[in-house]
Amino acid sequence: MFENLFVGIANGLRSLLGGLPLEINEAIVMLVKLVAILVFILVNALWLVYMERKVAAFVQARIGPNRVGPKGLLQTTADIGKLICKEIIIHKDTDKLVFMLAPMLVFVPTLMVFAVIPFGKNMAAIDMNIGLLYLLAIGSLSTLIFWMAGWASNNKYSLLGGMRSVAQMVSYELPMVLAILGVIMITGSLKMSDIIAAQEHTWFIFSQPIAFLIFFIASVSECNRAPFDLIEAESELVNGFNTEYSGMAFAMFYLAEYANMLVSCAMVTILFLGGWYAPFGLDFIPSWLWFFIKMYVMMFIIMQLRWTYPRIRVDQLMGFGWKVLVPLSLANIFVTGIGMYIYRAIGW
Amino acid sequence: MFGKGLVKGLEITWKEFWSPKTVIQYPEAQNPIPERFHGRFVLDTDKCIVCGMCANACPNKVISLKKQKVGTKQFLTNYVMNIQYCMFCGLCVETCPKDALHFSKVINMNQYFYNNIPLVLVQREAPAEQVEQEKPAAKPTPQLKADALAPTAESEVAASKASDKEGE
Amino acid sequence: MIRTQEYNLNFGPQHPSTHGVFRILLTLDGERVVKAEPICGYLHRGVEKLAEARTYTQFIPYTDRLDYLAAMLQNWGYVMAVEKLMGVEVPEKAEYMRVISGELSRLASHLIAIGTYSLDIGAFTGFLLAFRERETTMDLLEELTGSRMTLSYARIGGVAADAPDGWLEKVDKFMDKMPTCIDEYDGLITGNEIFQARTREVGVLKPETAINYSISGPSLRGSGVDYDLRKAKPYGVYDRFDFDVPLGKNGDCFDRFDCRMKEMRQLVRIIKQAIQQIKEIDGPVIGKVPKVIKPPVGDAYAEIETSKGIIGYYVVSDGSPKPYRVHVRRPSFINLGYLDEMLRGYLVADVVAILGSLDIMLGEVDC
Repeated sequence: MFENLFVGIANGLRSLLGGLPLEINEAIVMLVKLVAILVFILVNALWLVYMERKVAAFVQARIGPNRVGPKGLLQTTADIGKLICKEIIIHKDTDKLVFMLAPMLVFVPTLMVFAVIPFGKNMAAIDMNIGLLYLLAIGSLSTLIFWMAGWASNNKYSLLGGMRSVAQMVSYELPMVLAILGVIMITGSLKMSDIIAAQEHTWFIFSQPIAFLIFFIASVSECNRAPFDLIEAESELVNGFNTEYSGMAFAMFYLAEYANMLVSCAMVTILFLGGWYAPFGLDFIPSWLWFFIKMYVMMFIIMQLRWTYPRIRVDQLMGFGWKVLVPLSLANIFVTGIGMYIYRAIGW
Repeated sequence: MFGKGLVKGLEITWKEFWSPKTVIQYPEAQNPIPERFHGRFVLDTDKCIVCGMCANACPNKVISLKKQKVGTKQFLTNYVMNIQYCMFCGLCVETCPKDALHFSKVINMNQYFYNNIPLVLVQREAPAEQVEQEKPAAKPTPQLKADALAPTAESEVAASKASDKEGE
Repeated sequence: MIRTQEYNLNFGPQHPSTHGVFRILLTLDGERVVKAEPICGYLHRGVEKLAEARTYTQFIPYTDRLDYLAAMLQNWGYVMAVEKLMGVEVPEKAEYMRVISGELSRLASHLIAIGTYSLDIGAFTGFLLAFRERETTMDLLEELTGSRMTLSYARIGGVAADAPDGWLEKVDKFMDKMPTCIDEYDGLITGNEIFQARTREVGVLKPETAINYSISGPSLRGSGVDYDLRKAKPYGVYDRFDFDVPLGKNGDCFDRFDCRMKEMRQLVRIIKQAIQQIKEIDGPVIGKVPKVIKPPVGDAYAEIETSKGIIGYYVVSDGSPKPYRVHVRRPSFINLGYLDEMLRGYLVADVVAILGSLDIMLGEVDC
């Protein structure tokens, strides 16, 4: 019954608006879908901040937020409320336009990416046939915004953070794409639903374990999480690119980090963890819930990584990207290609 | 070598995640305060012989006391500690020859106004037969305390003779 | 042709990892340090001058404020200098109490050192796990002295009070638990490959340079120089304990860090032995000291091994109840002397790693 909950809602909405012309009808349904995604992301970002603080506290023998609301659930809401009330300090040497544009735009790539992510069976807002390409292209835009913030702040710490962000993007986008290539070679499609459909029997994490590892490392790096949180690096660069931001502008960056995490985890789930397919035939749990569970397992792992590992140094980061991940991902493509050839030659 | 330490780290944090937490919820629960805790001062006025040794032992001249002669005995009229300068080193308590001055376990000494910070341990008037000395005002203001510093250390001045070396 | 430019970066005084109000004026070429100028003095309180207006006993609480993480060791150094000046005999039990409380202080200080170092490198959890054990240490010290950090426990001629009932057993129990906790930090921090990659071959301090710059403490021993005052010139009752002096090999950040880690294991041994030996001793905890302390005219210098290095107190007496002059040889300050050359050629991230590995304490640097 819950399986088709959201699809059913969409269909119900469509038939409710049946009197209207088809184009307007579709446009309204699409609008509702996008608003639903927006709400989903924002609620998730709020929850994730709370979850991160709880995970951090539990790892560190603490209790974590537990005063505001039941079990401290409203802590992030209260924090955001406080940050909204605070002044956004813009010091006199900033590039004011770019400085303020950066926090405004920081959510845009994330929101755009979510349009193509299938949250369950038939649950992508737009199932584009070049979905993956779109996702990668838009996803890497966020670097530009970090760079904008770092540059416009006119602060040396921010500048260093911005510089690192660009360098990191260039060296980690490459192994990320190369790792996905193995998956694409097997499926032969860039369409999200096709990729998931190809994993009905075997998840790609089993057939492409190296690609999974590379992709996971690269995506942790892409969303600037420890041990790759060099652009923030609070022990060296104070707060990296957002040192100069205060109030809600800071909160936007802060929330965007979690929205980006959501994207990364969703991508890992789609590409390697079989998307919304239920493992072990446990399909009484609806597909969207499976997607959600897988995403949150990945999220927990990323959080645990952050609270376990020290930060890597900037030259080591570059070295690791170029000397380890890129050759490894190229080798993976090579092996995948040979494997596919043999597979076909045997003719299963 | 590579990877072993990383996995070990994850194991430790995973174990910590499920182990009991050491943090306690402060206002509801509280750590037990040990017997010797340096908390708020308490003065047993019956025991106090107004010798002024505590005032002399203090490195920061926190303690100021005023006394009056009642018959043959000294009578303590004022005992004020400028607690904002106090280091809670415990030297005053240690020197007290009659065990009159004590630490208590009270940790909360917050005040909303600056004027309320000085800890007034004794504030009373001498018995009625004495009239020759002027009684101190009801609430000690900062100026009053500065005045009170002067007559403090009469009984034991040896230690504080060269007390103006600081300004050299 | 690209024109490159060096620029200055103010690292501090308000910076999350300068361990206080310390400032380094970095000249950077990109992310690489060309020149580093340490600027201290933001926490200067004139402790040495304050001593001249206090009696000998009254100065003890001020020594707490030098290195407030290991207050007992600071008290001890000063008190030893005055005792030397006066020729006071310290009762045996007091010496043992000093060893136990001093080593507990050292433990608290080392726990902070390794915790903040892991925080500097970027691992937050090591910091709070180290704090958990430090909290127990401080609870124990609080029970003994009444204060958590600024203990003021040592007195001229002994210590302020005897151990309360059952305290030694509690310390013993905690010391039984401590090695497993150190194993945990080892697994979480020392064994981590990223941590090792960050700290190995960074900020190398050669043994000769370390001696030339008079660097002391774990920073010196990390370079492989075997010089621990507790072993080299045993003071108090240190000659009665069996312990090793851990040494590093390369003199890099990792060795300095590892020295502290191993030193914690050794001090657990010392405390356990001290507890065993103190139980057989009965007697006062403070020697025969006149009420008003008036040392004869003269001067005395005493030094002990604190958690940061060798702290030395030089006390000059003019026969009055107040010291004529007190000078403190502060290990943190002296260990900073080589900082500029140590930082040159490393990245901004290494600045934090190197500064953290020296384990400075700003209260002591600025005095």
